[in-house]
Amino acid sequence: MIRRTLAITRKEVIHILRDPRTLAIMFLMPVMQLILFGYTATTDIGLLPTVVLDQDRTLQSRELVDAYRASNYFDILFYVRSEAELGRLIDGGQAKAGVIIPTGYGRRLTAENRASIAFVIDGSMPSVATTAFSAAQTVAQAQSTVLIQRVYGIEVDEQPGIDVRPRVWYNPDMKSANFMIPGLMAMILQVQSTILTALSIVREKEEGTIEQLIVTPLRSMELIVGKVTPYMVISLFNLMEVLLIGVFWFGVPINGNILLLLALGLLALLVSLGIGLFNSTIASTQQEAIFLTFFLMLPFIFLSGFFFPLEAMPKVLQWISYFIPLRYLLVIVRGIVLKGAGLSILWDQAAALALFAIVMLALAASRFRKRL
Amino acid sequence: MNSRILYVIYKECIHIARDPRTLAVMFLIPVVQLILLGYAVTTDIEHLPTIVLDQDLTRQSRDLIEAYRASNYFDITRYASSEEELGRLIDKGLYRAGLIIPTGYGRSLIKAGRAQVSFVIDGSDPTVASTALPAAQIIAQAQSVELAAELIGLDPTDLPGIEVHPRVWYNPDMKSVNFMIPGLIALILQFLTTLFTSMSIVREREQGTMEQLIVTPIRPPELILGKVAPYVAISFFDLAEILVIGVFWFGVPINGSVALLLALSVLFLLTTLGMGILISTIARSQQEAMFLSLFTLMPSIFLAGFFFPLEAMPQLLQWMSYVVPLRYMLIIVRGIVLKGVGLRILAGEVLAIAIFGVFIFSVAARRFRKRLE
Repeated sequence: MIRRTLAITRKEVIHILRDPRTLAIMFLMPVMQLILFGYTATTDIGLLPTVVLDQDRTLQSRELVDAYRASNYFDILFYVRSEAELGRLIDGGQAKAGVIIPTGYGRRLTAENRASIAFVIDGSMPSVATTAFSAAQTVAQAQSTVLIQRVYGIEVDEQPGIDVRPRVWYNPDMKSANFMIPGLMAMILQVQSTILTALSIVREKEEGTIEQLIVTPLRSMELIVGKVTPYMVISLFNLMEVLLIGVFWFGVPINGNILLLLALGLLALLVSLGIGLFNSTIASTQQEAIFLTFFLMLPFIFLSGFFFPLEAMPKVLQWISYFIPLRYLLVIVRGIVLKGAGLSILWDQAAALALFAIVMLALAASRFRKRL
Repeated sequence: MNSRILYVIYKECIHIARDPRTLAVMFLIPVVQLILLGYAVTTDIEHLPTIVLDQDLTRQSRDLIEAYRASNYFDITRYASSEEELGRLIDKGLYRAGLIIPTGYGRSLIKAGRAQVSFVIDGSDPTVASTALPAAQIIAQAQSVELAAELIGLDPTDLPGIEVHPRVWYNPDMKSVNFMIPGLIALILQFLTTLFTSMSIVREREQGTMEQLIVTPIRPPELILGKVAPYVAISFFDLAEILVIGVFWFGVPINGSVALLLALSVLFLLTTLGMGILISTIARSQQEAMFLSLFTLMPSIFLAGFFFPLEAMPQLLQWMSYVVPLRYMLIIVRGIVLKGVGLRILAGEVLAIAIFGVFIFSVAARRFRKRLE
């Protein structure tokens, strides 16, 4: 039995080697995704280009502008003379935020201790806008504290207050790469192997060679195992590729046990195998197989918490996410890599993944046998 | 010439109609993406699951917890009895944030006017963490101001202060959907036209019917135009689908001119069709064409600023983004839909996609003709 399986594996390897373009794509895809996700998937915009309209031109207004400049959020690039000019810069996208200090700001601040300013934010990208929004308020609040101290003559360290000491766990520098790269490992295990499995079997169907395989003494189990083994090896290789580049180039720390990661990665590969096989029983052409996988993967990626936090989604979508194996795999991979979590914490996620593996493989195998 | 193009179009339509599955896919893609991008893509973090460890159990500590609860950011659903328990539950991912109020917090606040709390945040998703952290600090600051007022014996509203009146332009509710749906219009235009144009041409070559077309009196430009026309029509149908669902279901406001949007979409199609034809001259099989289309699409999405702001990328990638046509189209679509701006402000971007369009389309047409000869 092992000999027959190996023969099929050899045949598949020959197939793969004959198409060096596809082979190159298989190995280069993770590298491209690493670069894209590692570098571009961040909402941390650093300094926001900001325009200032200072209609007041007093000591106080300049102090406030300096406070905004000194904060690490706003890059004051333009000073304008009118609201129209400010509007044009923000319309054109050269500035994303605008501080408008009205006439009388300084006078009111000295006379009544209170004054207000307007803060314009380009809200088109909400993730950027919310950060800018709270930053603007933090700066003004800090300025207010300075005022309270000045007016009431309170020393800085006597100032009453609750000091919040942040402790950022797991990813203390809050680097996006640390979040995206473990996710990418999970995605490669799930997406790429599913497409490759489905294609390898549908190709035989499309070219009519599956009939020839059926008339040989091969059993369907041997056929499947033999055919998908090379792709499993490629997926594991890709996983290592991502792991190594992630650790040595992007400096992602691996806090947990790599062996556990590989073991659960294999479990995830079984799930992909099941989904891929299942797709191959539905699709009759390679094109259909790709479309089908593509369509399955789109919700996978969006509803699993790969890019966007599950908590922020509507309840219905959160429920649907329980039926997506990638959801559990993401928790596992991020848990092991970032949190250094072990099986004692991840056991329920691993159990869910195992359940998926069993159900999908059983379903696919029974359909596959019937089609043969 | 006209009737010959019409024949090619007719033939292509028969092809499309014969494969109802793919046809359904073409019309369903925008719907699926609308639902996913409309609902699942949101970084507005509210109601973050939060766990509290109150080792102080005084009125002051309860006040602070109430202040956190009253904000929209933190959902306090559980009280831990020890730091280990808090750590374990955050490790497990059940809670994303934890507030630790140490023993003596209330006493220190009364005696010294100052006290410390710890705020644990799961930093694995930096987007969530970077929103939650300032939120936690703003709440504590507001509490501090109240305390200060109490100490001085003033009403908090009488305290000196600078009030910030935010004016959020273009997307006042800061809804992610308003940002995503205009982008989707540009994305769908590129995705459908590039993918299906390249595949429909490669199909003829793969099945050997290209030779039969060449021996007919149809000239290459007629062949190209006839073959891409149905896909252009489908793209515009999809565009309308997105606009209608976006406006009537998701309530996305269209602040600018729809006519301008359509006109510039036509201009953009020159680029995407050109890319499709170019890919068809490189790919040998439909599968290769599909892979190549997806490969040009993926970097486009990320380098054009579809999900994530361009400004946050490393300088090198920002430069690379200048050669991604989708970058300009995204600025145009979002400009028209969200900002309501016109040609005067978008002139630079329009010029860029016009240059891309003419360049890519003419290169593609030349290569296509060469391959035919």
